[in-house]
Amino acid sequence: METTEIGRRDFLKTVGALGSSGLLLTAFPWLQSFAADNQKALKGEKAKLAIIGTGSRGMYHINNLLNTRQADIVALCDIYKPHLDQAAALCPKAKKYSDYREVLASPDVQGIIIACPLHEHAPIAIAGMKAGKHVFSEKSMARTLDQCKEMYDVYKQTGQVLYIGQQRLFDKKYIKALEMVHNGTIGEVVGLRNFWFRNNDWRRPVPEPSLERQINWRLYKEYSGGLMTELATHQLQIGTWALKSIPDYIMGSGDITFWKDGREVYDNVNVIYHYPNGVKMTFESIISNKKYGMDEQILGHKGTLELAKGKYFFEEVKPAPGIQQLINQIEHKVFDQVSFAGPSWVPETASEDNGEFIVDKVKTHDGSNTTGAAGDGSEELVASFCDSVITGKPIPVLVEEAYYSSVLALLGLKAMEERSIIEFPEEYKIPYLNHA
Amino acid sequence: MKDIVFTVKRQRTELIVFGVCLLVSFLMNVYAIVTFNTEWKELYTQLLWVLAIAVFLYAVSVGIRLIYTGVRSVLKSNKK
Repeated sequence: METTEIGRRDFLKTVGALGSSGLLLTAFPWLQSFAADNQKALKGEKAKLAIIGTGSRGMYHINNLLNTRQADIVALCDIYKPHLDQAAALCPKAKKYSDYREVLASPDVQGIIIACPLHEHAPIAIAGMKAGKHVFSEKSMARTLDQCKEMYDVYKQTGQVLYIGQQRLFDKKYIKALEMVHNGTIGEVVGLRNFWFRNNDWRRPVPEPSLERQINWRLYKEYSGGLMTELATHQLQIGTWALKSIPDYIMGSGDITFWKDGREVYDNVNVIYHYPNGVKMTFESIISNKKYGMDEQILGHKGTLELAKGKYFFEEVKPAPGIQQLINQIEHKVFDQVSFAGPSWVPETASEDNGEFIVDKVKTHDGSNTTGAAGDGSEELVASFCDSVITGKPIPVLVEEAYYSSVLALLGLKAMEERSIIEFPEEYKIPYLNHA
Repeated sequence: MKDIVFTVKRQRTELIVFGVCLLVSFLMNVYAIVTFNTEWKELYTQLLWVLAIAVFLYAVSVGIRLIYTGVRSVLKSNKK
């Protein structure tokens, strides 16, 4: 089995089409932990980590960390014993906890990985940073806008390391694609489309009714923002990344149209983010039809990127060889006797062009796996967190990108709930991109 | 059954006809490259198309000559 270590050694090499790793790190500064100098300095060191929340996503991180040489899982914490026991079977040396405050009090723990339900991200992360721990929190950042801001402020005040699980920032095909956006390969960006279609109820089996809200927390507003905080946050980050800007106003509509099973969160949403230059980014999600799957599409005037598929397409396809064009012309002159409409009549259904892959050996996933997929950047993300825990140095840009993606998701939710057009609130702007 | 005799003269004639077809086809490729402003490397990358067009032109020439010969022999037999 290929370990994360080997993957990391080659990471910059395989991504690096920017000419040199120096240029790559300038454009994507959060990748600095993969630089050779940094790797040399960290040799032999281990980050002592606690996993808080050992459900499906927590187990996914544990599996990745067990393949990461510089990770040492020293503590596990969960209030649900079956999950805790399951994790302990993989990490027999780790100490078990049921209260995260005890984990934060432990001097053996350097960093915590939070994979709890969304409403617990901010309280644990803030307490963690204040207790001098480095923090990795799953996305979204927090359940409310105020919590996101507080988490960001505490991060800046304490100087602790903070990572948010935006793994697309570490996915090779996304990095290469965004390089293509920024160097003008697809021309001027004129639109962004995000969509995530599924056909399942998003419910998990509950052993007893009293655990319904604890296990199916994603379906209740108190704990989750539904499709916006669980799915949209991944995709909305592409807008900030591609446009290097944040929207000025947001509108949307959400409903429970199919899964009327007592859930409180929408199962059908459509949100539009308007940027100051007139470009719009959309997010659409329906979880009762999966025909179109999931993707993020960046539309430029010269080409299109389909990020999840790892493909690009140019508007102007290379013309056919001259001789074929000549034959085509002769054929049309001979056989096209009857003309019955002008060129505007030509149907405009989607192009059948198969496009080109953004990177070789592209790893894609269809988004149906709710835990995580191989090659989606998650392994590199947790490995980078381990490096940052060892060095104790916060990583640039990552928190800011994650902050805005979470805020955009929550503002989209607010627009839908209030049925109003929302201006981006000044109080939630941070010193990043187009704001000082 | 009667043997079909393919004389040396006939072979030479057919080769010349096919050569002319090939030349016409090649010149069509040159014309197409200039007209549609495509790459000159198509002079060799599109040789299969050139060959296919030459075969097509040759087939057309065979058809025309067969019709001509047929009509002529019919006219000759009517004179007799």
